[in-house]
Amino acid sequence: MAITNLSGTRFRLPFWRQLGDWAPTGISIIFGYAVLFILYFPIVMLMILSFSGEPNTGIPGDWTITWYEDVIFADIAKRDGEAYGSNFRVGDPLLLSIMLAFITAVACVIAVLIVGPILPRIKWRGPFLVGFLMPLMIPGIVGGVGLFMWYRLVIHVKMGIWSLVLAHFVWAFPFALLAMLVVASRFDTRLMEAAEDLGAKPWQRFWQIEIPILKPGIYAAGFFGFLLSFNELPFSIFMRSGQDTLPLYLWIQSGAHNTTVPLIFAMSTIVTIGSIGLTFVAIKLAFGGGKNDVK
Amino acid sequence: MPRLPAGVWSLSGFSLLWFGGIVLPLLAIILVSFLQGRGLNINFDPTIKQYERFFSYGGGEMLARSVRIAGTVTLIELLLAFPFALWLAKGCKNNTVKLLTFTALTVPFFLSPAARVIVWRSVFGINGVVNQVLLGAGIVDEPVLWLIFSEFSVHFGFIGAFFPTMVWPIFLSVSLIDNDFLEASGDLGASRLRTLLHIILPLALPGIVAGFVFTFIPMLGDAVVSSYMGGNNVLMLAAQVQSLIGVSNFLVAAALAAVVLAIMLAFQVLLWFALKPVGGLAGVFASLRR
Repeated sequence: MAITNLSGTRFRLPFWRQLGDWAPTGISIIFGYAVLFILYFPIVMLMILSFSGEPNTGIPGDWTITWYEDVIFADIAKRDGEAYGSNFRVGDPLLLSIMLAFITAVACVIAVLIVGPILPRIKWRGPFLVGFLMPLMIPGIVGGVGLFMWYRLVIHVKMGIWSLVLAHFVWAFPFALLAMLVVASRFDTRLMEAAEDLGAKPWQRFWQIEIPILKPGIYAAGFFGFLLSFNELPFSIFMRSGQDTLPLYLWIQSGAHNTTVPLIFAMSTIVTIGSIGLTFVAIKLAFGGGKNDVK
Repeated sequence: MPRLPAGVWSLSGFSLLWFGGIVLPLLAIILVSFLQGRGLNINFDPTIKQYERFFSYGGGEMLARSVRIAGTVTLIELLLAFPFALWLAKGCKNNTVKLLTFTALTVPFFLSPAARVIVWRSVFGINGVVNQVLLGAGIVDEPVLWLIFSEFSVHFGFIGAFFPTMVWPIFLSVSLIDNDFLEASGDLGASRLRTLLHIILPLALPGIVAGFVFTFIPMLGDAVVSSYMGGNNVLMLAAQVQSLIGVSNFLVAAALAAVVLAIMLAFQVLLWFALKPVGGLAGVFASLRR
């Protein structure tokens, strides 16, 4: 688009301002949001179908909460030692998953506090970064097989809760670290030096300077660790021992019979809504506000 | 006075632990794939028998299929994501729209991959809503079977699931391009196409390569979409590895995983070269500081 100014010379609008009225841009925006629609349609549909009478057909309607009752009561009946219609019992997997997610979150926060503040300050951070972020570029299935090969085949250790914790930590730590690095690279180390000059002891510098400034990164690391562990599947397939995590249990059930599909929908809906809620809390705590920014 | 920052020791200690968590297992894959044995008992006799076995059982075909599907979808994602990311980074002026789109692109990372695709089976199934609508409208006479458990459905499932991993890196690299460059290019009389090809594309290349790696590699090893959308009809890498482990054929599984690892390492080298002009991974983070 050319615009004529008062003196009569024609000049062009900057490129990025012309993008708005560029026809291909319009198409690309439509396509982009179309893909986002494809991404979110099944999530919304999951929630709608979990309240529908016949979820298997994918047709909403005939509203009911019977699937949710089944999910809850089947588990309570099992705890009381009674028989109940369905064989679908999510209680133990749910507890295991919450426990794993909590441990992973705490581990992520500790690890990120060790690595995050120091990494932007050292000269040879390249190799460390590549090493720490490597799992992001490894398909979960390969990482899982690798852990399995090393611990089970090569050094012959029995799998247990520890192996699930290890796998979930390996999977979640890179994401937690990324979040922390975004915060930590903005950390002005002169604040620490000033505190030292003013006589602050190491633990005072840690608690009163480092922790408050890094707080958004700490929150993010904790929430990311929790959520990524809670929904993790590929690593868990190989690192479990007897007990199933919730995603594993739903995964196995969904392969088994059609009759449990409505219950899987109901349970997945609960988990999805919980995860979305936690994600929003995490984003708000970690990146919202910006009050903690020290420039 | 320059000195070693406190905490270098704890960093080293943690790195050692991390080594046991991820590097040793990856090395173990390569090691085990060259050994022989049965079940959990392996003896340390080097051999390439496992690779021969893997390929003689039709593993090559499965591998080619996995690479083909993941490659096709990655290219589609690139075509969809690049213009979208460009618009998001430079064109979109509405902050609310931007924020909503960012959120929409972030939330899926934290949802269960299974919960994200399981519904398609009901929607696309023989008695599913799509078939009922098509039958009801008289467009088809009998249910369309290729809607689910086919290569079509696998491609379709991947496109939604792996869009954010392509958009984010490209968005980041494009938003780091200084607007002055684009303005200068325009002022000097370059057409929009010329600016795109000679300014934006070279500067966004690291992001494009990163997006390619972050999309292609996880898709190649994806366990969820391929089995929910493809069933037994479209067998891909992850399902094959799982079934091999399931029947205690650990060594062939290791050979297969080693092949994937080799592909992955090739891409990491590619990414390393792509990021070199901007100072490597460390440079990307340095630029975040601005």
